[in-house]
Amino acid sequence: MTAVAAPVRLAGPGRLRRWRPGRAAVVALILVGIAVALAPVYWMLATSLKTPFAATSLTPSYFPHHLSMSNYNELLVKGVVPFKTYLANSVLTSVIASVVAVAISALAGYSFSRSRWRLRGPTSVAVLATQMLPLVVFVGPLYLLLLDAHLLNTYTGLVIGYTSFAIPFGSWLMKGFFDSVPVELEEAARVDGYGRLSILFRVVIPTVIPGLLTTGVFVFINSWNNLLYPLTLITNNSHQTLPPGLLDSFVGEFNTDWGGMMAAAVLTTIPLAVAFFAVQRYMVRGMTAGALAGT
Amino acid sequence: MASISVRDVEKRFGNGPAVLRECNLDIADHEFLVLVGPSGSGKTTLLRIIAGLEAATSGEIYFGDRLVNDVDVGDRDIAMVFQNYGLYPHMTVRNNMAFGLRRRKLPKDAIDQKVREAATMLGIENLLDRRPRQLSGGQRQRVALGRAIVRDPAVFLLDEPLSNLDAHLRLQMRTEILRVHRAVTATTVYVTHDQVEAMTMGDRIAVMNNGLIQQVGTPEELYDRPVNRFVAGFIGTPAMGFLTCSVNRNGDRAELVRDGVCLRLTEEQSRKLTLPHGAAVVAGVRPENLRPVSADGSDSEVSVVKGAIEVVEPLGPEQHLVVDVGGEMVTARVDRDVAARRGEKVSLAVGAGRAHVFSIDSGEALL
Repeated sequence: MTAVAAPVRLAGPGRLRRWRPGRAAVVALILVGIAVALAPVYWMLATSLKTPFAATSLTPSYFPHHLSMSNYNELLVKGVVPFKTYLANSVLTSVIASVVAVAISALAGYSFSRSRWRLRGPTSVAVLATQMLPLVVFVGPLYLLLLDAHLLNTYTGLVIGYTSFAIPFGSWLMKGFFDSVPVELEEAARVDGYGRLSILFRVVIPTVIPGLLTTGVFVFINSWNNLLYPLTLITNNSHQTLPPGLLDSFVGEFNTDWGGMMAAAVLTTIPLAVAFFAVQRYMVRGMTAGALAGT
Repeated sequence: MASISVRDVEKRFGNGPAVLRECNLDIADHEFLVLVGPSGSGKTTLLRIIAGLEAATSGEIYFGDRLVNDVDVGDRDIAMVFQNYGLYPHMTVRNNMAFGLRRRKLPKDAIDQKVREAATMLGIENLLDRRPRQLSGGQRQRVALGRAIVRDPAVFLLDEPLSNLDAHLRLQMRTEILRVHRAVTATTVYVTHDQVEAMTMGDRIAVMNNGLIQQVGTPEELYDRPVNRFVAGFIGTPAMGFLTCSVNRNGDRAELVRDGVCLRLTEEQSRKLTLPHGAAVVAGVRPENLRPVSADGSDSEVSVVKGAIEVVEPLGPEQHLVVDVGGEMVTARVDRDVAARRGEKVSLAVGAGRAHVFSIDSGEALL
């Protein structure tokens, strides 16, 4: 009689793989990376919830022992600092800069990608070359230009500043997205009887929405975080944005209100996080999936 | 509907060499013409010039009596199926098909009806609300066809539409395209590099190579009377075998000879072949015209090719023997019952008058 071994229940292959030493090391490394990345965020959040005394204690505690909303209360309710004005200015200028920069970058990127015109190569490289210089280099010339145009201390001037630095990179970013759009789509639309602009807006732009969102988020984050331009181009407090506004409000000669600054920082981060998570799902998958055979 | 005339068309990209030269082609109304050739032969470029997606460097394109060189692609009343389909990824199948009709400002009801009819014809009516990424390769192909036929065009252009499908689906879609062609009766130009596709689908075939149209004719004409060695070798599977021989004149009759080869020409062929005794030529023999015979029982009146079997390819109902004849390979299509082994010596008889003869220099057919 042939003996048949009783079936032995083994851990599934997935389970075995999960606990391999190499895999565990990778997971540990990722966790350390996440901790390092999130530590400042945690510290910002924790400090914003501490009392003023705890926030400035010489022996800082890692956890707020007494949760206090006083910093938020002072910012949002008491209005000690014109936080809402700064916030509104930041939202207004960053959103307008994003929309303008995306529109111009999309048209420029499409031209770099598809049009065949003289000096296209040198022009596109020259545009990219502007990104090799630090932001501060442009502040002087920009200040003088806006001074001549009577646009200092205006939202328009600030938006021009933001977009002037964002458009070159945005154009290249968009060029990459347009390059990935199959030419067959445009040719199919030409056969269908559509003209160049109709093709751009009805066929090409809808397939590069992830690119538009990426460019938009890029410009928004850069504008939102920009300290140098508003600090230089805006001296009127009613037009000031969050970064220089907060710097001015919480950092004094003899004292820094860390709790208040962290509460403001938390509130400043929220729109960025919302913007990023709102568009994240569009950025994951390319819109051209299914356009061609094998995609 | 429209006939198409291509007159002396030449195409260069920039200052580069001509990719199309002296192209002349007349395509009759309702005809299904296949442009076939290897990669880089210029067939897609010619199709794109007919479509208006490329401009010819010189030459003229007529649709009927109308010169269309300067007519925009959207005004040529054509529909095109691209090699990679080119479906609009952000639109549903319904909108993909309706997109061209909306440009023509047709009433919504008419558009819906046309889309439904085309979808029914192609069996994709249940896919109308899906997006291209949710479709299989065959379904995308049908949608691309549907997008073209819904326009009811005068000229239907297809650029290697089956090249991305597997063999089974390709066979199925081949039939489908022919069915659609019969239904819409538009003048059709179909580009492929697959000569089997060309032979099975085309009313006529234009064989292209190196930017030149080598020969235009029905599948039978191209197969039986190729004008040069390229067409002879390109059309037919397995390909025609070529053997370098010399002409041996013996009275009224001529034969093509070399070591292990003796191809006797018919009286008529001998008369037509004007080359003198000893002249070098290339003989071409189709695989189905070669049949194994016993070496000792050879008839002096029968043409024979002797060689060693290099490869045996069993194909089920038949087998292909690749035979080395003094360094040149010929393929014989033989019955599956023929016992053949690699390395075995074999004598192959060639049917009377079945040998093709080509110039050794120009490759032009001499008979």
